Amino acid sequence: MSRLATFLTRTAGTKDKADSFTIQDFLAYAYLFVGVLVILVPVLWTFFSSIKSDTAVESFDTRLMPMDQISQMVDGVGEKDVWVYTAEDGRTQLVFKAGPTRKLTDVAPVDDPEAVFQVPRKSLTPHEDIRVAVENYLDPILKRNGQDNFHFFTYLYNSVFVTVIATLITLLINAMAAFALSKYRFRGRLTFTILIVATLLIPSSIILVSLFFVVWSFGIFGSLWGVIIPAAATPTGVFLLRQYMLTIPDELLEAARMDAASEWRIFWRIIIPLSLPALSVLAILSVIWRWNDFLWPLIVLISDPAAHTLQLGLTQFAGEFDTNFHYILAMTVVTLIPITLVFVWLQRFITTGIATTGLK
Amino acid sequence: MTPAGFTVAFAALFWGLGGAIWLLMRRRYTHRQIPQFFMDLLGFPVELAQSLFGRAGVPYALLLPNMLIFGFFTFLPMILNFYVSFTGGASISLFDRPWVGWEKYADIFNCENFLSPKSCSNPGYNFWTGMFNTLWFVLIQVPILCVAALITALVVNQNIKGRGFWRAMFFYPVMLSPVVIANIWNWVLHRKGALNASIGEARDAMTGLAGLSGFDMVATVIFAVILLIVSERSLRSNDGPSASWTAVFGALIAMLVYWSQPLSLLGLPGSGWLGLVMAAGLYWAVSTEQSFARMAIIGAGILAVIMLLMIQFDAVFSFGRYRPINWLVTPKTGWPFFWLVFVFCWSHMGFYMLILLAGLQAIPRDLYEAAKMDATKPFRAFYRITLPLVMPTLTVVLVLSLIRSFQIFDEVYLLTGGGPGRETFMVVQNIYEVAFSNDHPDYGQAAAGSILMAIVIAVFTFFQLWLTRRQSDL
Repeated sequence: MSRLATFLTRTAGTKDKADSFTIQDFLAYAYLFVGVLVILVPVLWTFFSSIKSDTAVESFDTRLMPMDQISQMVDGVGEKDVWVYTAEDGRTQLVFKAGPTRKLTDVAPVDDPEAVFQVPRKSLTPHEDIRVAVENYLDPILKRNGQDNFHFFTYLYNSVFVTVIATLITLLINAMAAFALSKYRFRGRLTFTILIVATLLIPSSIILVSLFFVVWSFGIFGSLWGVIIPAAATPTGVFLLRQYMLTIPDELLEAARMDAASEWRIFWRIIIPLSLPALSVLAILSVIWRWNDFLWPLIVLISDPAAHTLQLGLTQFAGEFDTNFHYILAMTVVTLIPITLVFVWLQRFITTGIATTGLK
Repeated sequence: MTPAGFTVAFAALFWGLGGAIWLLMRRRYTHRQIPQFFMDLLGFPVELAQSLFGRAGVPYALLLPNMLIFGFFTFLPMILNFYVSFTGGASISLFDRPWVGWEKYADIFNCENFLSPKSCSNPGYNFWTGMFNTLWFVLIQVPILCVAALITALVVNQNIKGRGFWRAMFFYPVMLSPVVIANIWNWVLHRKGALNASIGEARDAMTGLAGLSGFDMVATVIFAVILLIVSERSLRSNDGPSASWTAVFGALIAMLVYWSQPLSLLGLPGSGWLGLVMAAGLYWAVSTEQSFARMAIIGAGILAVIMLLMIQFDAVFSFGRYRPINWLVTPKTGWPFFWLVFVFCWSHMGFYMLILLAGLQAIPRDLYEAAKMDATKPFRAFYRITLPLVMPTLTVVLVLSLIRSFQIFDEVYLLTGGGPGRETFMVVQNIYEVAFSNDHPDYGQAAAGSILMAIVIAVFTFFQLWLTRRQSDL
C-alpha cells in the first residue's frame, strides 16, 4: 500500500527526491489542475450543451447529459409529450397532458387516451431519455427548419479559401524575403530589416481607416482578396524563416551556383526543402491567424453575405436568431473543431514555434 | 476598373504571358519538365532580375512582393491616416475629400473639462469614453495578465509530470477565434447559464450542510486540525519557515479573518482586506527571511485560534437565496468589465506564458545548482536569479501585451457590445463605429481618433520600455 502511495505521488528528478511529494508539488499541481479546469470546462460545457435538444437548451438545463423529453404517438390524439405521474402512494404512470397546464392538470394515460383524470401539476415530471440532438448541427448546415439565412457551405468555402490561399502566399513571399535577408549581402539590407521591424510595431487597428481607402482603391474591397492580400506579408514570418535560413550552410548554395543553377532554382530546390520545419511552423501560425481573423473581414466583407467567412456568418447568426441558442452553440462547436484538431495534432510544433520566435 | 486594379491586371498579364515567352525562348523544357517550367514561371521576375542585373539584383527582386505589400498595406495607410484625418465628408474617393484642417481634432478636443468625457462634444464624448475605458482596461489587464503568465510559466517550468500536456492545455484558448470565445462565455455567463447555476447549487448545498446540528463544532474542529498541521509544517524546518506552507497558512488566515470580521467589533468594514494584508505580510516576512518571521507565524497562529473560536460557522455558511446575476448586462456593478478582463486573460495568457517559458528555459541550470550549494531559499533564488534573468523576456511580454490590450475589440464587441451603457466601450470600437457601422461614416473623425490612439500607444510603450530599462539594469 505504501509502495503504491509512493508510486502515485513520486515526482520526476533524482532518486533522493523521487520519493518526496512536497507542498511545492502539491501547490503546483493544484494550480495546474484548477487552471485546466477553468480553460476546459467552458469549452466542454458548450460542447455538451450543443448536443441537447432545443427545449433543454432554452430552459437552460444544467444537467450534463443531453436529456430529452420523449414524445409519442397517442391513438386518436396525435404526437404528445410524455410525462411521468407519481401518485401519492409512489406508483408511477406514463401520461400525457389532455388540457392546458394548471394547478390541477387534466392528464390521460398513454395507453388509454379516453380515461382523463386530474392530477396536481407538481406530481408530473418529464419522461426523458438520453438523445443526442443531431438536428442542432444538421438544420443550419442543410438549411432545414427555416434556417435559410445561414449559408454554411458558402461560409466554409470562403473560410477555407481565405485560409489556404493566404497561407500559400504568405509562405512564398515571406520565404523569398527571408532568403534575400539571410543569404545575400547587398546595399540596404539593414534598411529593409529595420522596415520590417517597424511594421511589427505598427498596431493593425490604428491603420484600419486608411487601409480601407487603400484596399478600396485597389478594387478588392468586398472580395475575399481584400482579406487575403493586406495580411499576406507578415514580419513574424520573415523573421522566423530568416533565423532558420541563417543555419543553412552557404556551401550548398555555392555548389549549386557552380552547376549554373539560377538563383530562383537555388531558392526553390535547396532553400525551400531545407527550411521545411520553419515553413511548417509558419504555415500553422498562418492558418490560425486567417481562420480566426475577425475585425478586418468584418469591415471588408460584411456587406456581401456571399463573401462571409465562417466567423462572420456565426456573428450574423447570433444577431438574427437571438433565441436559437441551440443552433448558435452547435455552429460554435463546428467552427471550433478544425482549429482544435489542428491543435491536437500539431501542438508540439505550435508551442515550440511560438516559443522560439517569441512573436505573434 | 480602378487604375490600381488595371495595373494589377497588366502586371499579371506581363508575368504570365511575357514570362512564358521569355522562358521558352531561353530554355528548353522536355515534357517531364513541365512542373519545372511553372516553377520558373512563378519566379520569372527573379530570373529576369538576375539576367538583367546579375546576382546583385536578385535580393531586391526577392524582397519586392513582401515590400510591396508592406508598403501599400502598412506604410502607405500609416501616412494616409494623417491626410484622411485632415479631410471631411463621407466620400470614399481620396481626391474628392474636402480639406478641413484641424477640425476633426478640434471636435475631439472640444471639451469643457478634459477629465470628464460628458462635457465634450459628441465625437469627443465617444472618443474619450473609449479612451478612458481602454486605459483602465490596459492598466488593470496588463499586470494581471503578465503575473498570471509568469506564475503559470514558472509552474510549468518545474519538474512536473506531463509538462507538455499542461503547457498545451494553457495554450489552447489562444487558438480559439474571438467569435467562438465570445459565444462560449456568453453561454456560461448568461443569467441562467452554467456559472449562475453552479454558484446557486453550491450555495444551496452549503446552506443545507450548515443547517445540520453540530456543524459549527465539527467545522471548528476541522479547521483547528488543519491550522495545527499547516502551522507545524511551516515552522518545522530549522533554517527559517517554509515559504510554500506559509502561503497555505496565509490563505487560511485570510479566510478566518474574512469570516470572523474582527474589525466589525470596532464598527469598521473591510475585514476582508485586513486578512489579505495579513497573509501578504506573513508571506513577505517569510520569503525575505526576516528575523521575526517565526514569531509572526506563531502570533498569527494564536490570533487564528481566537478568531476560530469567535466564528459561528453555521451563520457564515448559511447563505440566503441566490439571485442570479446578469454578469454581462447589469450596469454599475463592474461585473461586465471584470469578465472582459477575465476572458481576455483566459484567451491570451497561454501565448505570453509560452514566451516567458522560453525565457525561463534559457536560464542556465548551473546558477540554480550554485544557489542550492549555498542553501539559498527558493524565493530568494527566484528574486535574485530568475527574475533578473527573465526580465528581458518579461519586457517583451509587457510591451506586446500592452499593444495588444490597447487594441481590444473583438471580445468586447461580441460579448458586451460596449455596454451596459458605455461601460466597456473601447477606443477601437469607437473608430470602427465612426467609420464603418454608421449611416454617415465620418472617416476623417475615425482617422483622427486612430492617430491620437497611436500617439497614446507610442507614449505608453516608450514609457514602459524606459521604466523596465531602469529596472533591468539593477
